[in-house]
Amino acid sequence: MTDQALALLVLLFPVAGAILLAGRGWRLPRIFTVIVGPGVVWASFVCVLALWSGKAHGDFTYWTWIKSGSLEVPFNLLIDNLSIFMCLVITGVGGLIVTYSVGYMEHEDDPSYARFFTYMDVFIFSMLLLVLAGNFIFLIVGWAMVGLSSYLLIGFWYQRHSAVVAARKAFVMNVIGDVGMILGTFVIFVNTQSVRYSEVFAQLTPSQPCTGICHLPYRFVFDTPTLELAAFLLLVGAVAKSAQIPLHTWLPDAMEGPTPVSALIHAATMVTAGVYLVGRMHPIYDVAVYAHGAVAIIGAVTALFAATIAIVQTDIKRVLAYSTMSQIGYMFLAVGIGAYAAGFFHLLSHAFFKALLFMAAGNVIHAMHDEQDMRKYGGLWGQMRPTSISFLVGSLSLVGVIPLVGFFSKEQILGLAFSKPNDSLALIVWIIGAVTALITGFYTGRMWWMSFWGKPSPQRPVEHPHAPPLVMMVPVGILAVLATVGGVIQTGALGVGPAKVNDFLAPAVGPLRWEGDWSEVVIGLSTMVLATGLFLAAMRIRPWSNYVPWAQRLLERKYYFDEVYDAAFVHPMDAVAGFALRGIEEPVIDGAVVDTGLLTRAGAASLSLTQSGYFRNYVLVFVGGAVVAAVILLLRASS
Amino acid sequence: MSTLNIGGSQLDASWFLLLSAILFILGTAGVLVRRNPLVILISIELMLNAANLALVTFSRQLQNMDGQLFALMSMTVAAAEAVVGLAILVDIFRTRDAEDVDDLSELRG
Repeated sequence: MTDQALALLVLLFPVAGAILLAGRGWRLPRIFTVIVGPGVVWASFVCVLALWSGKAHGDFTYWTWIKSGSLEVPFNLLIDNLSIFMCLVITGVGGLIVTYSVGYMEHEDDPSYARFFTYMDVFIFSMLLLVLAGNFIFLIVGWAMVGLSSYLLIGFWYQRHSAVVAARKAFVMNVIGDVGMILGTFVIFVNTQSVRYSEVFAQLTPSQPCTGICHLPYRFVFDTPTLELAAFLLLVGAVAKSAQIPLHTWLPDAMEGPTPVSALIHAATMVTAGVYLVGRMHPIYDVAVYAHGAVAIIGAVTALFAATIAIVQTDIKRVLAYSTMSQIGYMFLAVGIGAYAAGFFHLLSHAFFKALLFMAAGNVIHAMHDEQDMRKYGGLWGQMRPTSISFLVGSLSLVGVIPLVGFFSKEQILGLAFSKPNDSLALIVWIIGAVTALITGFYTGRMWWMSFWGKPSPQRPVEHPHAPPLVMMVPVGILAVLATVGGVIQTGALGVGPAKVNDFLAPAVGPLRWEGDWSEVVIGLSTMVLATGLFLAAMRIRPWSNYVPWAQRLLERKYYFDEVYDAAFVHPMDAVAGFALRGIEEPVIDGAVVDTGLLTRAGAASLSLTQSGYFRNYVLVFVGGAVVAAVILLLRASS
Repeated sequence: MSTLNIGGSQLDASWFLLLSAILFILGTAGVLVRRNPLVILISIELMLNAANLALVTFSRQLQNMDGQLFALMSMTVAAAEAVVGLAILVDIFRTRDAEDVDDLSELRG
């Protein structure tokens, strides 16, 4: 099979699954859903593996979707090492999570059960389209569709008011990003007359190096401010999708969705789309230095900010949500300083350990009958041993304990920020990143000790939790193994061993341009050792903010972002909408419609008096009319 | 030519028109004052025939066959109308005893 057909097949499997399940799937026996739902994701995974092993690359055009004047939108898929890398994460980790859902969602009724897997397959398709798209228009299509599937899955339990509100919030926030993306694409199209990546980027790359003022031999149509504008607009989309400051408030609320959804969409794949976007657009960001710097700053600030909030959260999924924001902040930090491959390696390792954490947390929540408050857990170590160990592995990987995968990915990012030459911005974000790494150690430790160690809480809903079924435990186990040993593919940052991810991504996003030295390794190691120490210390000590009431309140209220947004946007909009309803809609528009109706009814009532129902009345009127007409005719004839 | 030759005797056309008018008025009066649906139907037939008479009269007077043809057409329509009207009446009588058209006033406003 050609690479071109294979690439299309990657997309078609999830679509076919979604259509099958949405059509008649829920009328068939449940085993049908169980096979088709995860099966199509694994089928896609096999196709991606085939592309990977065949070293496929190319820009495959299938047909022209829109042709209007100078706008030509082809349906083309860009297969390069970056998109294959992303597809491997999406279908591989996605396949594990969808398989896990078979057990997690078992209590759902049949239509809802099939509906869940329909949405999941739609999501996988949208995400694959997002990373495979070879032009800006299909990028936006995928971008909007992952937002839609996220909305559907957050609001999966639509009988719950809070879930519906959370879904709406996520959708609105994402649409802000979509608008940014569309405007950015527009700026790019106006300046380059193309929406195809290859054609756009070709106009950004000088055909020969040029220093100082020189007449360039290539068509360089952007002036720098325009390019910065486009880069910033695209960044709005990335920030909204990846839940970075200031468009982050939807992600914690999105935890209303089922736990596999949180693992797949709000940890492993969709929220990392912003990182993918910056990586894919690296020719733009390499030129637009201010937007590029903004990426790093936003990432670093979000990393610190989210980590501090995670210290005081008590809902286990919310801790993980803030931790996700924080880790994606690291990825933004990495791609923001130009260390693209390091950011993507952290994306991979984060997909492993955060999906693992969410799924292990899902095991606990499942056993605790949907209780998510960590204060009501405790003492699970003895009763849910495999889940506890898995969660511990995920936690240690998140903290960056040697030699788990999280250590290598985080160490590499921090090391590169520390050692980037002649760049004060990188040094600032390194300081923030290092502090965040320490806080990460603390809040992760707090979460683990609180949930699994100590005595069972008296408020615990279940005395003897049941062990998760095999279909849930096996994916967790696989991810636990990956989160433990995944680091061996990329130990190069320590100066020894391979750097497979860097090498693999180098053709797509460019090689790392600078090397660290031993001071970097020492700094990185000591940061991670300190973080590990804080993880252990969290067993005994309480957060410092417990002793400072205002700080505790500030963190518990999440820096008042929701309150500020409510006051600045939601309430004014409510007021405007309320005025429009009571001042315009009801009296003017409704009034006009109602009055028209009343007038018609009154007119009809008076006219209906003539409808006496007596035959002779009608005949009399008829004859009278005929006589009158005859008289008029006679008079006219005689005059 | 204001007279018509009928059976060898000459008769002024206005007599025929007068007869037609009288028949028409009788029919109209019947429709207006009688209440038995069957009689009303007969009165309508009377009006139609009055009109036919006028048509034939003018046809003879103007030496134009259009009037005769129109009278034939009118009779055909009258026959069809009688069929429909009688069918409705039969149907009404089948469900209830309607002596009086004023009882059939369900469609009043």
